[in-house]
Amino acid sequence: MATESHQPPSASAVDAHTGHDAGHDHGDDDGAVHVHIASTQFYVGIFVALVCLTILTVKVSYYDFGAANVIVALLIATTKAGLVATFFMHLRHDKLFNTLTFLAAFLFLAIFIVFTYDDLGRRGQVDNDYGGTIDPKTGLAAPGGLPATTATINDVEGEPPAGPATTPAGGEKKE
Amino acid sequence: MANVSESLPEKAGHGEHAHAHPSFLQHHFDTPAQQFNASKLGMWIFIATEILMFGGLFCAYAIWRGLEPDIFDQSHHFLNKIMGATNTVVLLFSSLTAALAVRSSQLGKRDQTSIYLVITILCAVVFLVVKYFEYAHKFHLGLLPGHCFGHPYFSAAIQNGHEVGTCLRIHSDETPGSPLWVRAIDESGHEQLLPPRANMFFAIYFVMTGLHAVHVVIGMSILTWVLVKNIRGRFSKEYFTPVDLGALYWHLVDLVWIYLFPLLYLVGKPD
Repeated sequence: MATESHQPPSASAVDAHTGHDAGHDHGDDDGAVHVHIASTQFYVGIFVALVCLTILTVKVSYYDFGAANVIVALLIATTKAGLVATFFMHLRHDKLFNTLTFLAAFLFLAIFIVFTYDDLGRRGQVDNDYGGTIDPKTGLAAPGGLPATTATINDVEGEPPAGPATTPAGGEKKE
Repeated sequence: MANVSESLPEKAGHGEHAHAHPSFLQHHFDTPAQQFNASKLGMWIFIATEILMFGGLFCAYAIWRGLEPDIFDQSHHFLNKIMGATNTVVLLFSSLTAALAVRSSQLGKRDQTSIYLVITILCAVVFLVVKYFEYAHKFHLGLLPGHCFGHPYFSAAIQNGHEVGTCLRIHSDETPGSPLWVRAIDESGHEQLLPPRANMFFAIYFVMTGLHAVHVVIGMSILTWVLVKNIRGRFSKEYFTPVDLGALYWHLVDLVWIYLFPLLYLVGKPD
């Protein structure tokens, strides 16, 4: 609104034409690009925080949290990614819609991974090819498909070869 | 519609009067701010598509890791944590200099922008050099997916006990047609015996880091182009969009690596 306010004669014409200036952000008012400019020290501070988090994630990788290893690593990584996106990529002072666009990518990525994972995890319940049955309680076989196979991966690849190796394969590693 | 056509000439006249029409402002935008916001939104949509492209690989990673956690655990000891961490810090630093290049550009400091852009590009070179040493070591060991893992389908020529790289290939039994297991020394100096299907880890490792490296090269090219235009004086306090968008692309490269590094190098049982 303020844009055209110093041009009273043409302001109404512009309003009638575009009808969009009422919703303008304050920064757009004179038509020039206005951005928040952070100080160099601030950016360096963010960098230092990122390096500290990198050191932290390497340090914690020497401890075994079992299944939580991935969660700990991903939490630290997401914190780092958040710092980069918020400050280095200026989302903090950018249009909210840009942030939503960015986050939408992660939403759909989550749908992609969770649904695929779920499909893979439960396919055995309906597909005989994967050695499963429709109903684990009754043992009723799935209609169609090939006869169930009892072959495991070790039948295909064989047992680990004998030798001086200290690390047997298949997860029974002892160190 | 009549209203629009009537007001158009006056609108054009008004636009020229109210805002000096700068050379960087394309004719289909009313104001520099509108042009800037449109460019930014376009870049963020592009970044979203990039995330989804890498997302396919992250999904494959999640599935394979879920299927074979022990293989991933065993194989990830062949990646050097220190080199990976070094590269992470190099990329983070380059992100810092990219952000500072944008800042200098926003302030209209042309020479400073150039210096920061050059540092960013040099960091990208350092990243690729470290990556080269990592790849070269795995090539040397023969830990490439496919025939190096001695699947009989790929490698009738590889015989029992034959060496590809420095890894020993051995049959699990006396049957000549059976797959070959791989005996190799990992980064902590332990001897590991990798089953043939360990190639799935090295496949996802090479494809994910390889696609990321392609992005590093593209990012370098974009930043070089921005640098040349900056030296030629195309940018100012009023118009720094290409510097901003080039830096956004570079930050994306950094973001992907922030996730790749822990997922490939770090998660798993420690030694």
